[in-house]
Amino acid sequence: MISFFTSHFATLRLEFWALLVGGVANGLIYAMVAIGYTMVYGVLRLINFAHSEIFMSGGFGGLFVLRALVGNSTPSGMSSFVLVIVGIVSGALVGAILAALLERVAYRPLRRRNAPKLAYLISAIGASYFLFNMAGKEFGRYNLAVPQIFNDHPVFTIYGAPVQLYAIIVLIAGLIMLVVLDRIVATTRLGRSIRAVAQDAETASLMGVNIDRTIATTFILGGALGGAAGFLFGLGSGVVFTMGFTPALKAFTAAVLGGIGNLRGAVIGGLLLGLVESFSVAFVNGAYIDVVAFVILVLVLLVRPTGILGERLGRAA
Amino acid sequence: MKLSLNKTVVAVASSALLLMAVPVVGLASTAGASGPTFDIGYEGPLTGSAAQLGINMEYGVQLALSQANALENLPFTVHLVNLDDQGSGTLSPAQAQAAIADPNMVAVVGPAFSGATRAAEPYYSAGNMATVSPSATAAPLAFGTNNNFMRVVAGDDVQGAADANFLVKKKHFKKIYVVNDASFYGAGLAAVAATKAKADKAKVLTATYSESSSCGGTASVSQYTAAATQIKASKATAVFYGGYYCDLGLLIGALHSAGYKGAIMSGDGALDPALIKGTTPHSAANGVYLSVAGGGNAFLTGNLASEYQAQNGAPSASTATYAAQAYDATNMIIAAIKAAYAGGTTTASALRPALITGLHALTYVGVTGKIKFQPNGNLVRSSVVDFSQVVKGKIKAIGHS
Repeated sequence: MISFFTSHFATLRLEFWALLVGGVANGLIYAMVAIGYTMVYGVLRLINFAHSEIFMSGGFGGLFVLRALVGNSTPSGMSSFVLVIVGIVSGALVGAILAALLERVAYRPLRRRNAPKLAYLISAIGASYFLFNMAGKEFGRYNLAVPQIFNDHPVFTIYGAPVQLYAIIVLIAGLIMLVVLDRIVATTRLGRSIRAVAQDAETASLMGVNIDRTIATTFILGGALGGAAGFLFGLGSGVVFTMGFTPALKAFTAAVLGGIGNLRGAVIGGLLLGLVESFSVAFVNGAYIDVVAFVILVLVLLVRPTGILGERLGRAA
Repeated sequence: MKLSLNKTVVAVASSALLLMAVPVVGLASTAGASGPTFDIGYEGPLTGSAAQLGINMEYGVQLALSQANALENLPFTVHLVNLDDQGSGTLSPAQAQAAIADPNMVAVVGPAFSGATRAAEPYYSAGNMATVSPSATAAPLAFGTNNNFMRVVAGDDVQGAADANFLVKKKHFKKIYVVNDASFYGAGLAAVAATKAKADKAKVLTATYSESSSCGGTASVSQYTAAATQIKASKATAVFYGGYYCDLGLLIGALHSAGYKGAIMSGDGALDPALIKGTTPHSAANGVYLSVAGGGNAFLTGNLASEYQAQNGAPSASTATYAAQAYDATNMIIAAIKAAYAGGTTTASALRPALITGLHALTYVGVTGKIKFQPNGNLVRSSVVDFSQVVKGKIKAIGHS
């Protein structure tokens, strides 16, 4: 037993920084996806189970744009920088367009008819199955590598742990997008209407907020972030029709962990999940990280059933 | 009214029959020139995360069939029926049942993957259908009671042991981290390699990471970041992976990110240029050792290679793992049909059981060497394992066991 702990703490000491960097990078991707779940929950009180496919579509969007722009060469320097931005933007665009379409096709008709919540759930799951099977059929059911747009190499090391360029890209891009979104929701007119609809849709509409447009924009914002996250994920592990399944499930967990409906809660939940998964490696076999994620979820919900920051988009943001 | 209705029905029915009869007559007359048509199935992954290996083989089967059909003295025509199982043991029984239900089907090349083979063999066995696999290498497959199972490659007991020897005896690695993907093939190969490496006095650590959601499974891709950290912390100098190229590519990428500098080796499931394409960055795949229990020529060469590549959409013959084995397996089936046909067995239903006996009796010299089956379906010859290494983004042969 003693040797069990000493050997594991040795791993923790040796790999602390590597685990930290990996955990934060993963956590940011979870956070970006979790925001899509939490925003939609905020305004509609429902879980958009097709969000995993928005994530996937962002991966394919970035992949195809970069394939068109880059041949077999690996660009470097400034062109790498521009291509990373192009990839993120194309991922975000495709994600946003798909999210807007989903809202129009799978949700709005149900909202018009005042359908029960269960109908939304089935509609979302149906859309999700349709989309990923379609992607599998159209783009092949195998993992496609995103063209190499930069030469991944360790940029610097912290206490012996190499930090790869890829991790730095995810960190910077993720942080910028999360901060921008937070500012949009907190300070703009659009953000105010999103918060208003989240707090009380009926009153908001009496006060002159266009509910349909606000809901559509919420989908678009969440979709853009999800799509960009899909591209960043694909950059590291390739793009395939099933790629959304597990990351989106984790992101949903993160959203619930942080308090569903709460924007900053989603970010905290995402980062926490990423870090816990990463550090669990020091104690249990890496194959158990999926189990660890859900054990943490259950433990947190036992203590705080509404998640770390509590629910409600309107109040917290 | 009733009468006229009946008349209409009769008229419609008879004209429909007439329409149907025309193409039937047409078919019969073209086939008549070269006797009956027999279907030969090919079961393997044509879609899915490991499709490239399956596609390599399909072109090998197709090449053998076209060459046979081009022969003037062939008294019958052979026709390819693809049975796409995506390499999955869940989908393969349905493909096996479809093959058995095809009245013209006489034998099957495949199934390609071990897990799919294990699940499909009981059906093929019940249908008296001979199956000759170009690539199902899991050792236990040959220990079943089905005598319809045959394969033109050595089992993983041979490959895994040779791989362990290569790492421990030839490259002198003392601490080996053996990872498998929990598949029937990957876990089997890894277990053999781990046992042999231990016997060779190396320190062995093992771990199982099931297929990730980016490769057709359900596990998180981030498990490989975890795996890489643990592998690095273990101070192992070599990693052996039992599994397929898609997940191995992700593991290699994670090992690279973690700053792991040791050796990486895997078996035939990862022996494809798709491994390099699926690794981020591609350069991280450089130095990876790969093995295949081939013996003789593991790849198509010379004229056969040009003919193989001349097929529309075919991959490069020099890297098409298992294309040569698929070519041999198909030719062997054709040879067995010829022999049985000459002996008076001329219907598909009679050919099925006859081919099981026929293939066991046959000795065939193909491009991969001399092929003769033991009663359990394994090759008689003790197979040589070929090693290769990724050098500057290309898979290069580096010798054999």
